[in-house]
Amino acid sequence: MRSPVTGWLFLAPTILVLTVFGFVPFIYVAFVGFFDWNPFAANPDLVFAGVNNYRRLVFDNQFLRSIGLTLQFTFWVVLSQLIIGYLLAQLFMRDFPLKGLFRTIHTLPLLVAPIAVGAAWRLLCVPGLGPLPYYLNRWFGIDFRLGSFEHQAFITTVVMDIWHWTPLVTLTLLAGLSAMPKEPFESAQVDGANRWQIFWHIMLPLLKPVLITTTFIRLMDALRTVDEVWMLTGGGPGTATRYIGLHIWRVVFPQTDYGYGAAMSLMTLYLTIMLCWFLYVGLVARKPRAS
Amino acid sequence: MNRRGLLSAAALAVLMSTTSFNAFADDAFWAKAAEPYKGITIRGVSESTPSSNYAKDVLAKEFSEKTGINIQFETTSWDQMYDKAIKDMEAGSGIYDFVYIEQDIIYSYLSRDFLVNITQSLKDNPSIASPTFKPEEFTTFANYFKGENGDLYGMPMEAFIKTYLYRTDLFEDAAVKEQFKAKYGWDLAPAKDHKQYREIAEFFTQYGQDNDLELWGTTVQASSGHPASFYEFVESIAPTFGVYNWGLNTETWAATVENGGTMNSDKAKEALNWWIGNLQYAPPESTSSTWDEVAASFSAGRAAQAFVYGENTAWIATDDTKSTVVGKVGVALPPVAPGVMEEIEAGKGYIGYYDGGAFGVPHSSKNKEAALLFLQYIGQDSVQVDWAVNAARVTHQTTYDDPRVQEQDQKTNGYYTLMRDQGKLFAGAPAFPFHGQLREAIAPFFYDAITGSITPDEALDRAAARAEEELTRLGYRKN
Repeated sequence: MRSPVTGWLFLAPTILVLTVFGFVPFIYVAFVGFFDWNPFAANPDLVFAGVNNYRRLVFDNQFLRSIGLTLQFTFWVVLSQLIIGYLLAQLFMRDFPLKGLFRTIHTLPLLVAPIAVGAAWRLLCVPGLGPLPYYLNRWFGIDFRLGSFEHQAFITTVVMDIWHWTPLVTLTLLAGLSAMPKEPFESAQVDGANRWQIFWHIMLPLLKPVLITTTFIRLMDALRTVDEVWMLTGGGPGTATRYIGLHIWRVVFPQTDYGYGAAMSLMTLYLTIMLCWFLYVGLVARKPRAS
Repeated sequence: MNRRGLLSAAALAVLMSTTSFNAFADDAFWAKAAEPYKGITIRGVSESTPSSNYAKDVLAKEFSEKTGINIQFETTSWDQMYDKAIKDMEAGSGIYDFVYIEQDIIYSYLSRDFLVNITQSLKDNPSIASPTFKPEEFTTFANYFKGENGDLYGMPMEAFIKTYLYRTDLFEDAAVKEQFKAKYGWDLAPAKDHKQYREIAEFFTQYGQDNDLELWGTTVQASSGHPASFYEFVESIAPTFGVYNWGLNTETWAATVENGGTMNSDKAKEALNWWIGNLQYAPPESTSSTWDEVAASFSAGRAAQAFVYGENTAWIATDDTKSTVVGKVGVALPPVAPGVMEEIEAGKGYIGYYDGGAFGVPHSSKNKEAALLFLQYIGQDSVQVDWAVNAARVTHQTTYDDPRVQEQDQKTNGYYTLMRDQGKLFAGAPAFPFHGQLREAIAPFFYDAITGSITPDEALDRAAARAEEELTRLGYRKN
C-alpha cells in the first residue's frame, strides 16, 4: 500500500493553485462585502458596514431585475441548447454526405473568443450596415433595431449564446450517444417498443449522466455571461440585457463600488449554488435508489 | 550674382545650417537623455482615437528611433482603457508607464493621487528635461490638467470642440433651398436655435424619403446601453438650453429643483424632450450610436447635420478613403435657446463640450523617467502641426498659424478657426471627483428614456433623486 504522503504530494499543486486563485480571493471578496469601499468617495477608505450591503441588495430594483433577466436568459439558452444539441448529436450519429465537413463547421463557434463573438454579432446587427436588419426587413418587414427594442435585444443575446455554445452540447451528447450499449435498444425493438418508448425509457436514462453534467456546465456558464452581451448590447437597450454578470461588472469597475459589488458577487454565487442544488435534487437525488 | 543675391544666399545658408544644427542638437538631446534607459520598454494605454492613433503610429516610432526606448502602445475602447488604467493604478501593479487621462476623469485621479507631478519631476531631474518642451506654449486648455498648485499632471495631447457639422452640398443646393423656404418660410442655413434645427432635421428626413436616399435629418448619439448618450445630453445638449454642470449645484451637490439643483428643471426637461424627439429624424442606428458611430454615420452621408466630436472633423472632411462627404462639410456653433448665448458671453455658462485628453505617468510606473521623456517628446511644438492636420486637435497656440493647418482649415470650412476663435464658448467637464460614479448611477434613466420605457420628464426626476442619493452615499452631499 502506498503512503498517503504520496497522494498529498500529487494533490499539492492543485491545492496550492485552488488556494491562491480560488480560496484566498473568495475570502477577500467576503471580507470586502462587509465594508463600504469606493476609492472615489469623499472617504476612500474601507468603512465597516456590517451587513448593510446585503440589506441594500434586497431593495435594489436593478439588482433584482438583473437576477430576473439572467434567470430568463439562462432558462431559454440552456433549454434550447439541450434540445438543438441533442438533435444535432442524433444527426451526427447517422451517415450523410459531407458529414465530416459539416461537423467541423458546426464546431467552429467554439473556437471563437466570446468577445469576438459579441463583436461579430454586433456588426451583423447594426442597422444600415449589418445583414440581419436588412434581410429581416426585406423578407419579413421587421424593423430590427437592437438599440430601440428590448425584446429584440433579449432574443438576440439568447440566439447568439445558442449559436456559440450549442456545439459544446452537441459534442458532449455525441460522446454520450456513441458510448451507449446497443443491446438494450435491440432488446426493446425485439419486444415491440415504439420510438417514443425507446427514447423515454432507454435513451434518456442512459444519457442522463451526460445530460445532467452538460446542463450544469451550461447553466453555470449562462448565469455568469458577460463578454458577448457587453460587446453586443452593453446591457441595453435601457437595462433590458443587463444580466447579473454585466451588472456586477458595472458596479465594481466603472462605478468602483467595491464593497457593494463584493456583496453582490457573493449573493450571486449563493444563488447559483442554490439553483444548482435544486436542480440536482430535482433531477438526480429525488428518487431514492433501491438498495 | 549681385549683392542682394549674395546676401540672400548667405542668409539662406545660415538659416539652413541653423535649422539642421537645431535638429541635430534636438536629436542629440533625446539620445543623451535616454542613454540610461536605452533598450527598455515602456507601456501605455489609450483610447483608440485619431489623436492617440497618431501618437502611436507616428510619434512613438519617431521617439523610439531617436532614443532606443521601446514603446508598447495599446489603443483600445473607451471602457477598456479606463478599466485597465484604473485597475493598474488602484492596485499599484505598475503595468503602465503612461495612461490616457480624459479631461473629465483627472479630478478623480488627482483626488486619489494616482499621477506623477510632471512639472516637479522635471525640476527634480534636469537631465531629462528637454529644452524643446515649453509648457507655456500650450493653449489654456492645459489648465485642465494642472493641480491646485499650478503644476502639470497630464501632458495635453488632444483638445477639440464638439461641433455642429452640416452638409454644405445640401444646404447650398438651390433647389433644396427653394423647397425648404417654401415649406418653413425662412432661408436654409445652419440652425441658430433648436426649433430651426428640428425643422431642418424634419425637412431632410422627408427629402431622403421622397428621393429614395439613405438620408436622415440628424444624427443622435443615443446608444441605449453606453454612456455616450448620457454624455451627449449633459455635455452638448443641456448646456444649449442653459443647464450646466450636469444640472448639479456645485456648492451643495443638489440635483433636484427642490434642493437647488437643475437636473430636473423645466429647461432640462425641455432639452431632453427635444433631444429624444430628434430620434424620429435620425438614422436607425442612432440608438446604438456612440461617438464613433455618429461620426461614421455622418461620414457615410446618412445625415444632413450632426453634433460630432471635432477630432473626427479632419478625416470626415478630407479623407476620401474613409468618408463619402469630403469637401461637403460645414462647421458651425451649436444652436442655442434664447438667452443662453448672453449667459455664456457673461461667463455664466458654456455652449458645449471642449473635449480633450492628456497622457499622465502613474505613481506605480516602473519607468517614470523614460515615460516623462516620451511625454515631453509629444509635448514639443515641433510635432504639433502634422498631428493637428491629421487628428484635428490643437494643444499649442502657434499651431493655428502654420500654413499647413491653415490649408486644412480651408478644407474643413473653418473648423480650426472656429476652435481658435470660439473655443472660449466651450468648456471641459466640470471638476467632479465622482464623475464615473455618478454617471453610472444615473445613466440608466437616460437609456430608459431613449427606449421610451419612461418619459424624458420621468427620467430626469428619477435621475435627479438618484444623483442626490448617490452623492450622499459617497459622502459629498450632506443632507
